This record gives sequence, C-alpha cells and structure tokens, in this order.
Amino acid sequence: MTQEIFDKLAKAVMDGDEDFAKNAAQEAINSNIEPIDAIKKGFSTGMAVIGEKFGRFEVFLPEVMLAADAMKAGIGVLRPHISEEQMAKQIKGKVVIGTVYGDIHDIGKNLVATMLEVAGYEVYDLGNDVEPKKFLEKVKEVTADIVAMSCLLTPSMYYQKDVIELLKEMDIRDKIWAIIGGSPITPDWTKDVGADGWGRHSDDAVGVANMLMENGSELPKPVIKGV
Amino acid sequence: MGETRSILDIIDKSQVGPLHTAREWETKIVPPKIREKLKEHGLQNTYDSKNPVNSDNGLADEFWKAGYELALDLGLHCPTTERIIKFTDQELKSALMTSPSEISLGWGPDRRTVKTRKPEDSTVPLAAMSCLGMEVSEELFIPLFQSIAQYKIVDMLLGGVLKTVHGRHGKAKTPYETFKGKYEAVLMQEVLRRVGRPGMPTWGVEDSPTEYAQLGGYGVPGGYDPKHTIAIVLLPSPLKLDYTLLHKIVHALNCGAVAVEIGHWAMIGGYSGPPEGAALVAVAGLILECCAFGAINHSTVLDIRYLSNTSREALWATGVSRQAQTRNTHALTFGITSQVAGPVTDMLLYETACISMLDSVSGAVLEMGTRPAGCKYPDRGSGLESKFCAEVLKSTAGMKRSDVNEIVKTLLLKYEENMKYPPTGKTFTECYDTKTLKPTKEWQDLYDRVWKELADFGLQRYY
Repeated sequence: MTQEIFDKLAKAVMDGDEDFAKNAAQEAINSNIEPIDAIKKGFSTGMAVIGEKFGRFEVFLPEVMLAADAMKAGIGVLRPHISEEQMAKQIKGKVVIGTVYGDIHDIGKNLVATMLEVAGYEVYDLGNDVEPKKFLEKVKEVTADIVAMSCLLTPSMYYQKDVIELLKEMDIRDKIWAIIGGSPITPDWTKDVGADGWGRHSDDAVGVANMLMENGSELPKPVIKGV
Repeated sequence: MGETRSILDIIDKSQVGPLHTAREWETKIVPPKIREKLKEHGLQNTYDSKNPVNSDNGLADEFWKAGYELALDLGLHCPTTERIIKFTDQELKSALMTSPSEISLGWGPDRRTVKTRKPEDSTVPLAAMSCLGMEVSEELFIPLFQSIAQYKIVDMLLGGVLKTVHGRHGKAKTPYETFKGKYEAVLMQEVLRRVGRPGMPTWGVEDSPTEYAQLGGYGVPGGYDPKHTIAIVLLPSPLKLDYTLLHKIVHALNCGAVAVEIGHWAMIGGYSGPPEGAALVAVAGLILECCAFGAINHSTVLDIRYLSNTSREALWATGVSRQAQTRNTHALTFGITSQVAGPVTDMLLYETACISMLDSVSGAVLEMGTRPAGCKYPDRGSGLESKFCAEVLKSTAGMKRSDVNEIVKTLLLKYEENMKYPPTGKTFTECYDTKTLKPTKEWQDLYDRVWKELADFGLQRYY
C-alpha cells in the first residue's frame, strides 16, 4: 500500500499533473506516511526520472516544468505536516533566480531553474527583466542561499554586477552565493564582477550550486564548470 | 493608411485577447497544440538523423499545412499584457499574400535586391554579415567590421554589440542605450566609408536590447537611414510579441522603413519539444511574423543543448521548415548561422559550411551571420569566416538537396562530438593584422585547407 502511494506520487510528477499530485499527497497523509518520505520516495523519484529523460531528450522543457509545478503543488499539501527543521534538511538550498533587468529572454533561466528544482533546490523564480532591487528583496524575504542571475543580452549583463554590489551594500554578500550564466557570460566576467560561480550549461549550473552548497567556503572562487 | 489600421489592430488585440500567463502559454497551451498538430498530420518521428538535409517535398508541404493550422489556432502571446494576439484565417492569408517578394535597398554599386527563392533555386542568395550579437571593444569596432565589409562578396552589413560608448558601459534601459543606437549607426557609416562602400545596405539597430537604442538610432538625422537599413525586431522566443517589440515595429513603420525584419529562434528541447515540433513552430512563426509586419523574416531552429543550429537535429529542422516556407509562400525567409566554435578552428568553418549550404539549398533569400563561438566571447570574430560563409552560401545555389546532404553528413562527422564543449578559437587581434586587415597565415592556411576539403567533397567553388 505504501509503495503504491509512493508510485502514485512519482507518477503525478512524471505526468506533470498538479491535481493528481495534491490528491496523492493527501492520500499519503491520510495513510500516515511520513511527509518527508512522500517527498523523498515519491515526488523526488518522479523528478529524477524526468530529469534523466530530459538528459536523453525523451522529454523536453515544458514536461520538466510541468513536473516541477506538480511537485510544488504536492509539497504545498505536505508542508503543513513537516517541521521547518525537517524541511530544511530535505532541500539542498533556497535559490532566488531571474533574468536581469533589460532582458526579456527566459528560456535559459527557466531551464536552469527547473534543473535546480529537479536536483532538490527550492527555487524562487522572479521571471525576466528583473530590477536589481527585486533580487535583493526576495533574497532577504526567503533567506536565500543562492542568487542566480541569467542574461542573454550583453548590455544587460552589467546588472549582474549591480546585484552583487547591492548585496555588499546591504551587508549580506558573505551570507549568500552569487552564481551567473547566460550566452554572453564568461568565466572572465564572473571573476570581474566578483560572482561565486559560473556554469556553461544547465547541468554545469547545478554542479556549481552543489559544490558551493557542499563546501563553498573552502573552494577558490569563482567555481567554474564547463569551460 | 492601411498599415496604420493594421498595426493598431494588432495593438488592440494585445489589449483584449484571451488572457494567459507566460507559464500557461509555454507549458499548457503551446506544447499540447504542437503535439496535436504533429499527430494529426503524421509528422511525429519524421526526424531523419541519417539525412540531415531533407529532400522530401511532401514532408515539407505537410509541415506547411500543420504550421499554418498551428498559427491559426495559437496566435502570438503578448507577455506585456498576458493576452493572446489571435489572427483569423483571412488575416493570415492576407498577410502572406501581401508580403513582399523582393526588397531593394542601398545605393550605387552596392545596391542590392533581396528576392524570393525556392529550394534548389539557382538565384544566388545574398550574404548579410556581422559578428552577430558579439561584444566588440570600442577601439576594435571599426577595424573588425571593416575586415568583414572589405570583401565584395558580402552584400549587407550588421553591427555588433559595443562594449563601451566613449568608455562607458552601454547598460540596457538606461539613456546610454538610447545614445548607443545612433553611435552604432555612426560607426557603421564610418566602416562603410573606409571600405569604399558607402551605399552598402545595413541592418539596425543591432544592439538594441530594448526599444530605446532603436528609437535613438533608427530614422534619426545622422542615424540609420530607413530607406537603406532594414529595421531589426527579433522575438526573444517564438510566438511571443511584447511591447518592446511592438514599439520597435511602430517606430520603424513611422520612419518609413524599407523593411522590418522579424525573426525567431525555434528551440529543440525547449517549448517546441522535439525537432519536428521546432520545425512546426518555425513555420507558424514565419506566418505570424508576416501578420505582425515582418517584411523579411529570420527563421531558424536552435538546439537547446548547444544554443546552436549546427547540430544534426537543428540542421534537419531548419531545413525542412525552410523548405516548407519557401515551397508554399513567396514571403522572404532567411537563415542565420549560429556556430559554437571560434575563429581559427576548422570546426567553425565546418559548422558554417553546413548551415550555409543547408539554408542556400532550402531557399533562404539570404544568410545572416556569423556567430563564432556563439558570440559568447568578446572580440572573438573576424572577416574571414564571413567571407567563407558568403562563398559557400553562393556556391551552393542551384545544387540538389541530395548532393548537399552527402556533404553535410561528411562534415557533421568531423565536429558533432565536440559541440558541447567546443574550441573557443582566437580573438580578432590574434588572427588579423588590424592595420592591413589581412588574416594571419595560420587562419588563411586553415581556410584554404577547409575549402580544398569542401571541393574534394563535391562543392564547386564559384567565388
């Protein structure tokens, strides 16, 4: 019975079905399944399968985004039954992500945001054309571990630096990892603006986030993956 | 007056159309509709990895029919108002019918006419060259673009992204951006003066992340001349038209633009799904862009894994969608090269050859490029890859798709394994003499060697 519910939770995510995910989550609670187990053995299993399928190009970005939405919806049902401490252990970290000001491109940002969710991060997506102060407001609101800034247009990349400077001015630069990426963003630029990490592809970005969260304070910065 | 009425109609639609968030559009509306159309028309699993250059007219025509229906069913999403701009069957047909089949611009010996083409057409396509989207140091801007425009085989010129404006960073959405619009135009005019081609057609404003640079540089005294410069309006995502882009379109029309370019990059792996889905979106994109006053339309398919159109899947999808377009409408559709390798690598030239030959034989009216190393790295471009692109493009005119397919298959094997982490190559100053504007011996030798390989593979060199 328990395994059956785990399978349902996983399937709800794989199908990208929010209602099914909420119902399966409620069924898990009604069956006295530990909510954390419902996430780990149910939703996360489904997300892992979707992530692998995306890697093999068997599913595509919309399916992965829908899976992430379904998992979020299901976790919304489970969350009141999970202590903050338990939840903090479950997630790898909180990420505030967005495409910087003046840039309306978002497919790369959406891809990274979704892959971070697949990898177990709690992601707060601010969308595109995001003013620097909006990043700061959200970072403070959710006590983020990582701020991730995407950019496709060169004239907008200067706003990545602005966000990092604002973090310094607000005296929280040493409390958060700043990672950047996007078409014109290079390792050299990453060094110039004082960011902590850069990844060429979405899987590289997840790798960088993992490295920073696991032992970032001991690593030389910036962490670069995919040169 | 007709144009005024119609552009206002589009703005009206963006205010009152069905309401959907961008996320709904991208995940719940577009992907299922693509799957539905692919299934209805039997287009699922038609991607042919063994033949990256499609030669099947029936398949191309089926993509056209399905793409037309997709355009009719979906319309364009306006992220600014979160509303759908829908068009009727009559509006789609009218837009395609009234779309120009040729455009002339420029003056003197460098005046050019862009003409509609069909697959395997012997009409020679034009070459509109640049380091497209690449950040270029202010002091190198003129010599780098001179190095491109000096070659007579290059028909039109586009600028790049200035790293600074009189030493200041040209941040998007600031008055620096507005200033930069005209500054780019002035520098481009100086490039053309120095190469002795003042009447060469241009495209602009290339570096206009928002509407500000275009407002500042297009149609203003001393800026880009609307009679000889095609106005650039590039959609950030296919099937989306926001107010930044509508501002640009309205401004270009107000200025009496010779033509407005609207274009898209359909994306394999993204919202369009598989190669077949991306091809379908490219077809629908062209039709909808004609409705939105695109007189000449950039259409290509990128692969999300590399952000390039030189992978096997992207080449196939670009080719079949282009053939669908050029076999079924006279609308002007053109390609863009988007490579992953940098200058002074044979991989860059192999990639350039594949996409240029494909677009040429599929009926593109012109090829725009190049984008060495995806234009990711500053100053990492030069004139020689543009010259090579133009030569290959034009030499391919009149060839059979099946013959091009054999060459592309051979070239793909030489580079496709290296696409995820490609060689970044060398910068302009490392591969060109900035005074004589000649390539280094290393770069010239490599170019000669690859051209010889292409000739051995069966590409007749006419230029």
